[in-house]
Amino acid sequence: MALEEEKKETSPGEATYRETENDLRQARSALLNILDDTEMARRIAVEEKNKTLAIIQNFSDAILVFDENNILELANPLAEEYLDEKKENLVGKRVDEFLALPKTKMLMQLLEVSEGSPIKQLFRKEFMASPNFYLEVTSVMLIIDSKLKGTLLVLHDITREKNIEKMKTEFVSISAHQLRTPLSAIKWTLRMVLDQDIGAITPEQKDILEKSYLSNERMINLVNDLLNVTRIEEGRFLSKPEPVQIEELIQSVVDNMQEEAKKRKISLSFTKAGRSLLPIVKLDKEKMKLTLDNLVTNALKYNNNGKNGRVEVFVKENSEKELQVEIKDNGLGIPEGQQSRIFTKFFRGENVVRMEVDGSGLGLYTAKNVVEAHGGKIWFESEEGKGTTFYLTLPIPQS
Amino acid sequence: MAKKILIIEDEEIMLNLLEKKLKAVGYDIVTAENGQDGLDILRSQPFDLVLSDIIMPKLGGLEVMEKMSQDPVLKNIPIIVISNSGQPVEIDQAKRFGAKDWLVKTEFDPQEVITKVKKLLGE
Repeated sequence: MALEEEKKETSPGEATYRETENDLRQARSALLNILDDTEMARRIAVEEKNKTLAIIQNFSDAILVFDENNILELANPLAEEYLDEKKENLVGKRVDEFLALPKTKMLMQLLEVSEGSPIKQLFRKEFMASPNFYLEVTSVMLIIDSKLKGTLLVLHDITREKNIEKMKTEFVSISAHQLRTPLSAIKWTLRMVLDQDIGAITPEQKDILEKSYLSNERMINLVNDLLNVTRIEEGRFLSKPEPVQIEELIQSVVDNMQEEAKKRKISLSFTKAGRSLLPIVKLDKEKMKLTLDNLVTNALKYNNNGKNGRVEVFVKENSEKELQVEIKDNGLGIPEGQQSRIFTKFFRGENVVRMEVDGSGLGLYTAKNVVEAHGGKIWFESEEGKGTTFYLTLPIPQS
Repeated sequence: MAKKILIIEDEEIMLNLLEKKLKAVGYDIVTAENGQDGLDILRSQPFDLVLSDIIMPKLGGLEVMEKMSQDPVLKNIPIIVISNSGQPVEIDQAKRFGAKDWLVKTEFDPQEVITKVKKLLGE
């Protein structure tokens, strides 16, 4: 027994050797496992990268990726097609170098590109890339771990939408012109009959004809609204900006509306801040008059008739850079849930439709476009049942 | 002697109304229903003023004005445009061809046309 036990015993040196060998074997297997995992992770990463690249390459929009130094890293095939340049001529170039390429110049100007400045952030900004080819550009900063890693540009082809829009605009424009022809014939005929140019008419006939004349005028206004909208959409709405003394323009609009205000038993007033004349602004006088007309007409129309109705027009110099006009009423107000849609085409407030059926829903849409085309802003404050104040600003030309 | 005015207008009712209104004021009126007839008449006799529509068969109002502007005699006759259209591009073009005024039919009464005519003829 004692002998057998003695045989199994090993020397201390051998034990240490075996332990080390064991440790090494385990370490080797752990290392192999790590290598396996790494290889697997690498393969997955490559696969993911290829997948991402495949998505980018086959994406239905043009994609351009700039690195943090604004050097183009990646352009997919549609980017080559839209910019009409081979990838080799694009990738590796700094963004301001694209200013020199005729095909990309317009896009770079939109992005306010210059040497050393960041690319401007845009969301769905339209531009004409070449005749009858329209693109929409979106640029997004790529931020990873709160560090700027580059900029992503996405170009989306909107030519089809643009063409449909153009066809629609042309359709409305042609129909509006066609509608004007019989309307003017009716207007002139009624006017001459009313003026008794064709012969004497009885008071009763006169009364009825006056009413049809007014109906016809309403129709003319509606057609004119439609025409204005199509002109806005064709981008040729503003013409001939001329120097205007704004208080004179507002005064003439308010004067013209006094009779209507009296009829509705509403007090209509106009005040100007300060005694001296306001600085001259450059306006398309006719369109601005139309805009102020629309705003004052709305304020009068959508008032609670005869209950201390008040419309106040006010103008002041906001700063050296802009004038501000306010049109305040104590009328119906705009329901809170509908306030965000008020400047959209054909929109009319529910409370307003209940009260006055007539109206094209184009007045405020036109107003917004006119004010913005002048470089100004328009907004409002409103509470249903208490009233609305419209504000608009107009830039003062800086000499 | 009454001043002589040529009205070029393809829409019969507008032509009749204008003729009636202007005759009532005492003008001598000649009418044409398209641009080509208008131009032929203009070349055959003297006129003090022309009232012309724009969109017309055979020859449009702008073409009539262009031809008038190239003619040494006709280029001195004042023209007032009366149209259903009022596009700034067209108005600018008409003014370059010598039109003195552009009236959009839906925005004007016949009486206002008379006022404009009188003013242009210095009456």
